Amino acid sequence: MKKITWGLIGLSLALVVGCSSQGGQAGGQSGQAEGKKYPEKEITLVVPYAPGGASDSTARIIAKNMEEKLKVPIVTVNKTGGTGGVGMTFVQSSPNDGYTIGYVPVEMTMHKALGLSELEPSKFDLLGQATMIPAAITVPADAPYNTIEEFVEYAKQNQGKIKVGNSGVGSIWHIASTAFANKAGVQFTDIPFDGAAPAVTALMGNHVDAVAVSLGEVKSGVEAKKLKVLAVMSAERDKNFPDIPTLKEKGLDVEVVGWGGFVLPKGTSEEYKNVLADALKGAVESDDFKKFASERGMSAVYKSPTDFTAFAEQQFKFFSDFIPTLDLK
Amino acid sequence: MEALGQLIGGFETAFTWWNLLYCLIGVTVGMLVGVLPGLGPTTGTALLIPMTFGMEPVSAIIMLSGIYYGSMYGGTITSVLINTPGEAASVITCLDGHPLAKQGRAGVALGVAGIGSFIGGTISIIGLAFIGPALAELALKFGPPEFFALMIFGLIMVIGLMGRSLIRGLIAAFMGLILSLIGMDPVSGAVRFTFGEAHLMNGLDLVTVAMGLFGLSEILFGMENLQNLDKPAKVKGLLPRKEEWRPTLSAIGRGTGLGFFVGLIPGSNSVIPAILSYTLEKRIAKDPSRFGKGAIEGVAGPETANNSYCGAALIPLFTLGIPSSPTIAIILGAFIMHGLTPGPTLFQNNPDFVWAIIASMFIGNLILLIMNLPMAGMWAKIAAVPPKLLYPLILIISIIGAYTVSNSLWDVGVMFVFGIVGYVMKKLDIPMAPIVLTFVLSKLMENSLLQSIKMLEGNVLHLFARPISGTLLVLSLIVLVLSVIAEVKKKKASFAGDVEM
Repeated sequence: MKKITWGLIGLSLALVVGCSSQGGQAGGQSGQAEGKKYPEKEITLVVPYAPGGASDSTARIIAKNMEEKLKVPIVTVNKTGGTGGVGMTFVQSSPNDGYTIGYVPVEMTMHKALGLSELEPSKFDLLGQATMIPAAITVPADAPYNTIEEFVEYAKQNQGKIKVGNSGVGSIWHIASTAFANKAGVQFTDIPFDGAAPAVTALMGNHVDAVAVSLGEVKSGVEAKKLKVLAVMSAERDKNFPDIPTLKEKGLDVEVVGWGGFVLPKGTSEEYKNVLADALKGAVESDDFKKFASERGMSAVYKSPTDFTAFAEQQFKFFSDFIPTLDLK
Repeated sequence: MEALGQLIGGFETAFTWWNLLYCLIGVTVGMLVGVLPGLGPTTGTALLIPMTFGMEPVSAIIMLSGIYYGSMYGGTITSVLINTPGEAASVITCLDGHPLAKQGRAGVALGVAGIGSFIGGTISIIGLAFIGPALAELALKFGPPEFFALMIFGLIMVIGLMGRSLIRGLIAAFMGLILSLIGMDPVSGAVRFTFGEAHLMNGLDLVTVAMGLFGLSEILFGMENLQNLDKPAKVKGLLPRKEEWRPTLSAIGRGTGLGFFVGLIPGSNSVIPAILSYTLEKRIAKDPSRFGKGAIEGVAGPETANNSYCGAALIPLFTLGIPSSPTIAIILGAFIMHGLTPGPTLFQNNPDFVWAIIASMFIGNLILLIMNLPMAGMWAKIAAVPPKLLYPLILIISIIGAYTVSNSLWDVGVMFVFGIVGYVMKKLDIPMAPIVLTFVLSKLMENSLLQSIKMLEGNVLHLFARPISGTLLVLSLIVLVLSVIAEVKKKKASFAGDVEM
């Protein structure tokens, strides 16, 4: 009896200790001592989504590779909620001492236009891009159209009849299918799902006619010969699927891709930023990250802080112009 | 018979020392993840994935799937002992498991849950191995309209859970419905009832709410009369009484079937089979009033169903490459990371691999049974720890658990609020079960209804034109009509019941 009680107390103490080491990111010193070696202690990486998703796995693998270079542990913390807003805002308001970095997906540049939060690229110091993943216009393997031209033709004759599944209203893949429809001069009926996987499942069951989600999400369906990809929405053909044309080649000038990158709280010292950017570059260009990315249907793409800042600003502008035309809500 | 030969081959792989060790590690971690509130199987598997990088693919998947089904065993323990669900699938177990513990029968509840989990788990793995591929195509027939019909069916069944007073039951059911509205509207993207709070944008978390409603309110209630609290009942055995065996076993049988069926449906989760099983058991019980006060079937059915669900939920993954729940999505990620693509070709191209995983799941379930049955007695003694020691511990575990849900104090606050809500509800004798049930079902129901309406171009009557959804909706109507008739018949009696309280 007594033993059990003590055992329980021990167990809960162990829990407290275990959790506090995980959550102990707040205790950062704000003063950046000059001439001190950086980094000298663990770095916290904040992922705004739940463990296990594509964002989380990407961030964790990058963190593992950066650790080797920086010689300090990088602790990944998932701060979920507000469709990513909670975690990203947390990073924004963290001390800019170089010991908090954040993972941001393309949604960071969409939040403001969607009215979800006040986040925008200029509120961070951008560290670099890591991944890129194009939208893939995908239909069931037994659909009557085999090329994107035939699909557009079919859609023109059946305005509003084609049901397109997306990964949620205002999600990047919703934007992708709408942008495609606008350029092609067709109308789809959008059916939102709670994420891309259920949309692809519905496509396999012939409950919707097409999806425009990431290549990675449809990869296994394509390999199972249940689905076929008609086109990708990136600037260039995807290295993993070199036979699939881009919309640009087909004369439809529209480009929507998902991407992931890393940011720092505004005002982090240039010196620290360079150290981190250097480590990030090495991590993105490492063989095991490239392998991971291609297996997930993504491309490992590194952009330097300057290039990434320009890219994010341009994306922010695109979404701020485009999203209001969607007439959401 | 060919499959049987391959299964034996799979056992050869699974029975190597390393793979046995990984299986053991997997199920043990799974148990722990299940026991700790807030830390669910999704987080558990995600956190361990990086550890599997250097491992053989077979060992890696053996370990990760061990966490997945192992957690279903673990969640039961806290539900029964301290009325705090360790993970979502075990929320329902609180309803009857904890009352059993109060009667000193925690051992029985845990024992029955262990046996049921083992039977449900094992049978669903047999299903996965031998009839999985044939059923996978069937699963795809479940689109949004079918899903909606299933949710309606589930909701209609909830009427049976209203407790003694229909009005109090309805109050609870509507509370659940309203709570599920918080967050983003699935079709228009409009943000509802969040009061500008970003944490509410994705809605409330089921486990956090349940931890407050069940666990915390229990403490508050117990604190009221800490001095003259009944002496904790003596722990009596691990097995049900002789006359309880028959209903228990049939509940396990029904739970297995239900869990397996729901597991096949993409987009479902492990809470749904548990809910359906509980409502089914209560509906067909000779004396439904025992439920909520320690009915052994109320533990046996749902606990079996969520384990049976686990095996079946792997069928869409193995045969079509479809991840039907977040945890399975992570296992899918692990497959890909180790260079394997789940899908129709998996059974043909990597038979050794698939059969070794399936064999390991048999072994894992057996390990879990062996671990759980003797331990049930040990765990059960926790129920006998005096409240003044137990309550602070539950509080610590709950707070840490709530914190881990999204690594923020927000969820701790949510849990406290619902603890108070639960306390008030107990005082007013409003049943808790309908809140949880409608909370889970209505979210999925709203989503699938809105999707269906768009799919069917606004014509809701088309729901009846599709064979599966039509059948389910007609069945729901019949159940509804029968319930109304039954209710009218005993109207007087139930009014009298209201007055008595």
